[in-house]
Amino acid sequence: MKLDHRVYPALFSLLYIATGLLWLLLDDLALTVWLGGAAPALLPAVMKNAGFMLVTGGLLYGLLRAQVHTTQRTRRQHEAIEEQLRCARDELDNRVQERTAELLAINQTLERQIATRIQMEFALRDSEERFRQLAEHIREVFWVYGIVEERILYVSPAYEEIWGRPVHGFHDRPLDWLEAVHPDDRLRIQEAHVDKHRLGHFDVEYRIVRPDGAIRWIWDRGFPVRDETHQIYRIAGLAEDITARRLAEDQLRRQQVDLARMSRLSLAVELASNLAHELNQPLAAIVAYTQTCLTLLRQGHTDPRELMGTFEEVINQGLRVGEIIRHLRTLVRRQAAIQTPLDINDLIRAVIHYAQLELRQARIDLRLELAESLPKALADDLQVQLVVLYLIRNAIEAMSQMPEGSRQLTIHTFLSGADWLLVTIHDTGHGLSPEAAERLFQPFFTTKPGGMGLSLSVSRSIIEAQGGQLWAKPNPEGGVSFYFTLPVYLTAYTA
Amino acid sequence: MNPTPTVFLTDDDPAIRDAVGLLLRANGLAVETFASAVDFLESDAVQRPGCLLLDVRMPGMSGLDLQKRLQEMSCRTPIIFMTGHGDVPMAIRAMKAGAFDFVEKPFQAQALLDRLHEALALDAQERRRQARRNEVAARMALLSPREREVMERVVAGQYNKVIAADLGISISTVEIHRKRVMEKLQAASLSEMIQMLALVGDE
Repeated sequence: MKLDHRVYPALFSLLYIATGLLWLLLDDLALTVWLGGAAPALLPAVMKNAGFMLVTGGLLYGLLRAQVHTTQRTRRQHEAIEEQLRCARDELDNRVQERTAELLAINQTLERQIATRIQMEFALRDSEERFRQLAEHIREVFWVYGIVEERILYVSPAYEEIWGRPVHGFHDRPLDWLEAVHPDDRLRIQEAHVDKHRLGHFDVEYRIVRPDGAIRWIWDRGFPVRDETHQIYRIAGLAEDITARRLAEDQLRRQQVDLARMSRLSLAVELASNLAHELNQPLAAIVAYTQTCLTLLRQGHTDPRELMGTFEEVINQGLRVGEIIRHLRTLVRRQAAIQTPLDINDLIRAVIHYAQLELRQARIDLRLELAESLPKALADDLQVQLVVLYLIRNAIEAMSQMPEGSRQLTIHTFLSGADWLLVTIHDTGHGLSPEAAERLFQPFFTTKPGGMGLSLSVSRSIIEAQGGQLWAKPNPEGGVSFYFTLPVYLTAYTA
Repeated sequence: MNPTPTVFLTDDDPAIRDAVGLLLRANGLAVETFASAVDFLESDAVQRPGCLLLDVRMPGMSGLDLQKRLQEMSCRTPIIFMTGHGDVPMAIRAMKAGAFDFVEKPFQAQALLDRLHEALALDAQERRRQARRNEVAARMALLSPREREVMERVVAGQYNKVIAADLGISISTVEIHRKRVMEKLQAASLSEMIQMLALVGDE
């Protein structure tokens, strides 16, 4: 049971008054009054005591009441302050939490940013590292040339090894590299260097002379580096020591020349053997005829006029020998080819005219795709005609087993580069096995039952004697294409 | 029934066939010409007496191929090859394979004629030997087994006495067999009989 605080002063005051009155009623004077019944004089004293009790009781109440009020007010104030404090703390807590969350978020973002940043830095350092590793460890010299600066900006350490010159030489003398170029190549390289400025491209092979006097072959090539406006502002390049490759190539070339000479030699041997047989036949006939005549004349019973037919045979066989020798001369004349300017298209048309009958009989669809206004070629007219004829005949034979209507012979002429005329002879025949493609140009190789296997090897010899090349490639859609090049007659072209 | 020995000239070149044919005929030889090895094989010339004058280098079946083919057929016709200057290895092969000889084109008529005559003589001799061999073989076929036994021992040089003991017959019986053998083989003497047997024994 809870009593209001305001009740306590009243209770205390009433209790005080009641106790005081009770004590007054029971004191000597009052008892005397009550018991004695007299002494009215005494009554005012009793009333005065009772009045005193009431007044002090009232004062006590007032005091207590005030005290309780004060206490209560103070407590209420305390409570209010506490309440305020609590509220304030709660609010603070909230604010702190919010702030913390915000901070956390910011922190995370920052962390992420930092991580990215670190990664980027690592990546950058990595790519730099990789670049450095690459540039400094490749055998090739990596260089960067500044167009505006007009000098080499960077050159990798391989330079020192290949050139035998210090890298820092570039700082002092920007043309250090050019000084190293072999005197015979220097002019050419200077020209290439000028072009490099203009085109951004650079692809040259040259020799350098190392300080120790050794000569090395260098393959140097550069590529343009462009800025945002697409202007070339740098050239990056690689220079490679190709001395070993160059030597191997030289050796290979020498071997090929030897091989060509040898195969020509074996060709000559075979030709000689064939020729001996070819010549022996009519010679043997001539000798036999004349010996017959001698025998008959010696026997003396033959009319010399009966021998006229035999003598005519002797003449025929003699002419046959002459024919063989004439044929031989045209074959061997490639030794001293007479090179004259010739129109390759006219030449092809002339051969086609000559081979027209063969083409018609073989039911071959001929297509000429001859480039207009070609420069003249410098070659031996007759010999090139022979090659074209051989190649056309080869195509005719290659297509003889194919169904009619699918036999198509296409002859193209092109200008290849500035210096070469390219002729292709394309058939739709039985094609080439890889083995055949390899041996195609060897003397006495043939896929034809009746062939000698000489025409292609002779053709190649002829074209090579003109300075050109002859090769064959199987077509992806079947058949074979033969290609040969002839040098352009330059003065006629430029004049 | 003894056909003339003939030179069988085989060459793919008509001029050679004509010229050499004329030459040989002018020198009194019988000549037949063939344009290829196959033409020769398909003719009856393979059986006839004569010799083969053969070009080494011919399209299709070469001279060497023909030589091999003839050997497979046991044809013994002697072969003289005609070769060119470049054909020495072929000539060597031909000689190793049993050719009679080879001549290089163009050739001296007399040298060729000499070799041809030799080849024809060889062929004739060979054919005679063959004929004799056939004859002896035919006569020997007439002998009884016992006569053959006796003959073999006589030829081996055994005395009649030894033969009689060997075969378990009397000496007079051996003598009778011996006489009959000589009669059947038409041999005049013991030495002729030995020659006959040597001829057949070659086979």
